[in-house]
Amino acid sequence: MIRTIKEQGDTAILLVEQDVRTTLTVADRMHVLDNGKVVFLGTPQDRRARGHQENSHGSVGTMRVLLFGTCLVDTFFPEAGEATVRLLRRFGAEPVFPRGQTCCGQPAFNAGYEAQARAAAEHFLWEFDGDDPIVTPSGSCAAMVKHHYPGLFRDDPKLFAKARRAGERIFELTQYLVHVAKAHEAGLRGKGSVTYHASCHLLQTLGVREEPLMLLASLNGATFLPMPDADRCCGFGGTFMAKLPEISLALADEKAASIEATGADTVTGCDSGCLMNIADAMRRRGTKIRVAHIAQLLAEGL
Amino acid sequence: MSHEQTSLAFRENTVRALEDSALRAAMKQAADTFGTKRADAFATVADLEALRDRASAIREDVLANLPMYVDRFVTAATRAGAVVHRADDAATAREIIRKILADRGARRIVKGKSMVSEEVDLNSRLEDAGMEVVETDLGEYIIQMEGETPSHIIVPAIHKNRTQVGRLFADRLGVPYSDDPQVLTKIARKALREKFLSADAGISGANFAAAATGSLVLLTNEGNGRMVTTVPKLHVAILSIEKMLPSLADLPAFLRLLPRSATGQTITSYVSVITGPRKAGDATGAKELHIVLLDNGRTEILAGESRDILKCIRCGACMNVCPVYRTVGGHAYGWTYPGPMGMVLTTLLTGMRKSHPLVDASTLCGACVGVCPVRVPLSDLILGLRRRKVREGFADPRERRGMKAFGKAAASPALFALGQRLAGAFWPLVRALGGKDVAGRMPPPAKVPFRRKAP
Amino acid sequence: MNGADLAARFLENAAKAAAGTHLLSGPEKLREALAGIVPPDAAVYCPGATEIERAVAGLFPNRVADYADAAVTVEEVFGAVAETGSLVCASEGGRAVQAGLLPSHHVAIVRRGKIFATLDGLFSVVASAPPTNLTLVTGPSRTADIELTLAIGVHGPEKLDIILV
Repeated sequence: MIRTIKEQGDTAILLVEQDVRTTLTVADRMHVLDNGKVVFLGTPQDRRARGHQENSHGSVGTMRVLLFGTCLVDTFFPEAGEATVRLLRRFGAEPVFPRGQTCCGQPAFNAGYEAQARAAAEHFLWEFDGDDPIVTPSGSCAAMVKHHYPGLFRDDPKLFAKARRAGERIFELTQYLVHVAKAHEAGLRGKGSVTYHASCHLLQTLGVREEPLMLLASLNGATFLPMPDADRCCGFGGTFMAKLPEISLALADEKAASIEATGADTVTGCDSGCLMNIADAMRRRGTKIRVAHIAQLLAEGL
Repeated sequence: MSHEQTSLAFRENTVRALEDSALRAAMKQAADTFGTKRADAFATVADLEALRDRASAIREDVLANLPMYVDRFVTAATRAGAVVHRADDAATAREIIRKILADRGARRIVKGKSMVSEEVDLNSRLEDAGMEVVETDLGEYIIQMEGETPSHIIVPAIHKNRTQVGRLFADRLGVPYSDDPQVLTKIARKALREKFLSADAGISGANFAAAATGSLVLLTNEGNGRMVTTVPKLHVAILSIEKMLPSLADLPAFLRLLPRSATGQTITSYVSVITGPRKAGDATGAKELHIVLLDNGRTEILAGESRDILKCIRCGACMNVCPVYRTVGGHAYGWTYPGPMGMVLTTLLTGMRKSHPLVDASTLCGACVGVCPVRVPLSDLILGLRRRKVREGFADPRERRGMKAFGKAAASPALFALGQRLAGAFWPLVRALGGKDVAGRMPPPAKVPFRRKAP
Repeated sequence: MNGADLAARFLENAAKAAAGTHLLSGPEKLREALAGIVPPDAAVYCPGATEIERAVAGLFPNRVADYADAAVTVEEVFGAVAETGSLVCASEGGRAVQAGLLPSHHVAIVRRGKIFATLDGLFSVVASAPPTNLTLVTGPSRTADIELTLAIGVHGPEKLDIILV
């Protein structure tokens, strides 16, 4: 329709669009804004050329990545999602949020509801179909896809193959930032003192140990204070928090004490579930330490 | 004293445990100690992963050929002069042992630590028959005196502090009060020495059994295991069938792994390899050796999807690192075996009906998987049991309904978004509806979910 | 690993397990060593079955016939394992392994040539035809059952001395 109006030749069109690719096909001139700041001004041809140029310099270029927000981020911590988007864009990726995404299915899977987990997983594979990398600000969700999805489709060769492929394509955010975007070499800024909680699935299942630490260490102006027993479980455990809340809170309380002992003004991590659990324990203790997803800290340093 | 299983009251048990400050302090100290000791101990092992792989492979071979190895053991042990009995279940095991002892007029029995004997509730049966059963492992001695059950498979009295033990000894043994572990240990040595020397029979477990030679292997530190198996003229050993190793040549890998995994020791003070009773020309060994091989459901487990739990060598490393176990202790699990391996084995041996709350006693953090010397896939086993729990109808009805709704919402973006909006709008109601344990710990849903701001 | 290294490694590991260790240049030094380890009036059980045992038995004025009555057992043992610092006690040849268990002090004499480098070395030898009782002894008896605090000397010996000849 826009093309039709354009062809008539007598109407100026101001198109405000989030999907860059559609604008490339119809615009004569483009202003690209990021958080109110103009990051590009020119013609679509210039834009494509710059993209290719960045690619040829070995950087990421405008690589399309599919963003899996996760149900927790979507519902409770949208700021972590927004921060993830900013980070991806800064490091040359073009994040696309498949609109119909819901949940990876972990809550059902961990509680033994295989049918429901499979339903969620099948929907995920549908929404995230294709070959583009998938990035998610959650270690446990990435672990779910990588580690457990294939097993859910052991009876369906086609879906099994898609599940395997999805597991190969998915990155937890810090994995992407360090290995693909080299963000730890970008001289991000930071302030104050930070400590880090290593989430269990991130560590044990995905094997992501160094990446978050490298990113935090790279923040100029921030001091990193290691936490004793950083890799001890915080007691979230997804459905565990609902089923055995007393133990969950006792573990979160211990974790909060470890955090306080570091003297840091901020605690961060890669999984919102853990951070939510920890934040509540600290609130009950009256602690004023900031709890923020690593995406937020890094995005603030851009 | 017989001990009823209380696994169905797991959550209540944990709430009580959380309020027991002495227990919490003891468990915290234990967790810190085990962590350091384990790290130090494995520093002296050249290639830990290769060792774990080897031990895991040996155990898998045993399970894949268990009936053959058990048969082989029976033949070899019999040839070495032992009398071997196969017990299908707990009641049979109890009766076999009672009869062996009663037939010989045995009144005083000294006992080494044996989790399997707890599993079949042996002591109460023998006591009912008028026999005196004296636990000689210091930890077991303490809890027997208290009338309790062990709360850890390696350190049975881990939940007790020195003050409690001191008071117990002063009270029951009439000795002056002391809370010095060295002094308390000497008191126990003196009290038990007399029992060892006057006992009619000794009952022990076994850490391993070597099929090729019919040998029993006991790993101990105190010397009571050795006393129990060589001083009295009758030795009765009870062990479960999965304890088999093909031969003594397979033992070194486990001698390197088990003590380090259990207590952080390089090796236990004593490793006893017993092959048959005393023979002509021998000056060591009981005159009679009876070996009871217990099945009690293991053959059935072996045929099922949870069979890998039978690889367990009872080192206790999993419970030492488990965030749940180290917070609430072993008694909360309500039966013989606690912690990660206990959740699985208890459910399989006693049945879902009596144990189902146990399968939820895990955050799936995977710490146990990281330390298991024989690579038992505990997280996967727990997930498998949760699926079984749901399939067999033991799941909470509210949870079932919630999960059904979840399944629909996860597959339907429109439903999912609606659910989000409803949760947001009715958050105070969600909290009030008794979700306060959970919902009370979560922030309210964001006014604008991320999906509406995403690119 | 040569003999000297093996001996050194064995004694080092035995010492880590709280055993007293004594390296002798030859059997002629046994008298002297034992004089330093065993109190002169102690009730000693010495089997007198091996050549070494026969050579030292006369050193003890207060010899008892039954190890259950002894304060100290002085005996030669089957061998040792360097990897773990363990003694190997075997019931072979009519030996009473529990002689080293009941008294509160165990003095074990080991010949250098009987040290196995590793546990595998030992078990590959004994695996096919083990004696009635084979016991690895590493240090004195111990427990950590009370508050995980180490206490030495429970039901077995409180003191272990190893003499390597």
